[in-house]
Amino acid sequence: MTQPAVKPRNPVAAHPVTSAAIAIGIFASIFFTLWVPIYARATPKAGDFPFFYFYLLAYMPVVGIVLWIVIQLQKRLTPPSRAAASAREEAK
Amino acid sequence: MSNVNAVTFTIVVVLFVIVAGVGFAAARWRRAEDMLHLNEWGLGGRGFGTFIGWFLIGGDLYTAYTFIAVPSAVFLSGAVAGFFAVSYTIIVFPIAMIFMPRLWSVSRVHNYVTPADFIRGRYGSRGLSLAVAFTGILALMPYIALQLVGIQAVLTVMGVGTTSHNTFIRDLPLIIAFLVLAIFTALSGLRAPTMIAFIKDALVYLMIIVAVFYIPARIGGWGHIFAAGEAHMKAINPTTHKPNGVFIPTTGNSQLAFATLALGSACALFCYPHAITATLATRRRDVIKRNMSLLPLYSIMLGFIALLGYMALADQPTVASVKKAGGNAQLSVPFLFQHMYPSWFTGISFAAIVIGALVPAAIMSIAAASLFTRNIFKEFVKPDASPRLETRISQWVSFAVKLGALLFAIGLPKTFSINLQLLGGIWILQVFPALVSGLFTRWFHRWALLAGWAAGMIFGTIAAYRVATPTASHWGGSTDIEFGHTVYIGLTALLLNIAVSVAATLIFRAARAPQGADETLPHQYTADPAEAPAPAPAAAGTGAGTSGVVSD
Repeated sequence: MTQPAVKPRNPVAAHPVTSAAIAIGIFASIFFTLWVPIYARATPKAGDFPFFYFYLLAYMPVVGIVLWIVIQLQKRLTPPSRAAASAREEAK
Repeated sequence: MSNVNAVTFTIVVVLFVIVAGVGFAAARWRRAEDMLHLNEWGLGGRGFGTFIGWFLIGGDLYTAYTFIAVPSAVFLSGAVAGFFAVSYTIIVFPIAMIFMPRLWSVSRVHNYVTPADFIRGRYGSRGLSLAVAFTGILALMPYIALQLVGIQAVLTVMGVGTTSHNTFIRDLPLIIAFLVLAIFTALSGLRAPTMIAFIKDALVYLMIIVAVFYIPARIGGWGHIFAAGEAHMKAINPTTHKPNGVFIPTTGNSQLAFATLALGSACALFCYPHAITATLATRRRDVIKRNMSLLPLYSIMLGFIALLGYMALADQPTVASVKKAGGNAQLSVPFLFQHMYPSWFTGISFAAIVIGALVPAAIMSIAAASLFTRNIFKEFVKPDASPRLETRISQWVSFAVKLGALLFAIGLPKTFSINLQLLGGIWILQVFPALVSGLFTRWFHRWALLAGWAAGMIFGTIAAYRVATPTASHWGGSTDIEFGHTVYIGLTALLLNIAVSVAATLIFRAARAPQGADETLPHQYTADPAEAPAPAPAAAGTGAGTSGVVSD
């Protein structure tokens, strides 16, 4: 459900932009922590925190928000009947 | 026991007794008609929602060893060996988002309880399933033992039992704590750690919020804390004649080590059976996804816990106490709390660490017990075992597993447990290709995956054995040098594993080796059944519904 490439063809083909956005969201959140040179610096400092430490701490809520957006986007890929079914389940 | 602080000790004991009471009472929580089924005992009824799931998964993934080992690694050697854990707990959630919802769906449809159940169903291979179960149990045992090492660190700083020279008396508090844990886990199953996770998380949050605001104010602010950390990492170690550690990884090699450690550990985390157990206990597919976006909140806390290592470095009395205790860095955080706080809050913080150990230890022993019962006992010893018998066996195995871990922690030197934990991470990562590729494709051949697994296990173990430091001839760390680059051993072994799996798959396909039956269907990987599969009528005495779905 997460990787557009492995989805049943229909939802991905029907929503290419949404699918691409989902893939980018997930891979970007992995890439920007894995690529250490981006943030392995002491400056600019945020308060007393060296940039390296501040960046990693600040990155966590960002990943949380990105993944939340990914979930919302994935709901658009779900066929309406199933989306309605899960909405009913949520309401319970 | 002369130097034990009465207030601290009393608070830890009282909180432990409360938690034990909750553990026993949990057997009645969300009670099902038939509790003697692994879906109930091992997965708490498979019905937890987002809120409970967050506490359960968070309380499961962030272990007491994390609270002790991550800051102690930061205390000793800074960013690469210690603070990488923060990067690791960030990327673990996007990575898990890619495959965990699929594992949840297929496990829900086929009533799989363990990752090895899935492998069995997907590849129709008892050998591969046994390899996955074996690796899981092997990796979990030292992990449980390390929860005890975490508790021991707290008990040592409290001064409990340290004056006795008799091993049994010295470890009596630990033995009592673990017996209580073992009994309520066997009785209540996954419900016990789930309920206790609420108390754990509340205490841990309290501990860390107070630490973040109170300790820097006491010892001269964050500027001073980071300066102390930087000074220590840059100082030349008299034994190694190299700097103590890395404050900010600016060289290519340290950056590569940092990134591969983070990536490898992140891929390993959701291969651990206890992480899968907590995930499968949730009610709907959306619950997993929502938790992947909510759990980074827990990682923020881990980030600050890691920084406790620098706080300890910035506090001279703590550094002196650690040195006096034989340089055991694991004691740095408990000592820091003891020096900073009034004794009642030291008690609360210590209790947070002790209770923090109980939740993952319980879930790990449940996961190991389910693996043994489902994938070894039922598969190879008694194929017609009823769900009732499965649950009974699991209850006893969970008890035995904890007993084993206890003997481990008491009998063997601490460094040995830590080495085994390091190996456990490398080992469990070798399950990744079979588990994750299986969720997306049947391209890989089952025997090829088995060959890749064996190659990764052997290479990883040997490579880890050969890591030497000036202070240790073997098991010196989790990175080694491959072609001139410092890389996490687990990740190198994983790459080897994948390469062997690909090559062997091509060979087996060319030789037309039998593929094995696949009982799963493509749409089942995205299914979202509202009801848990009927837990195979217990009265009928048949095995849980792992088979028969596809043969229909």
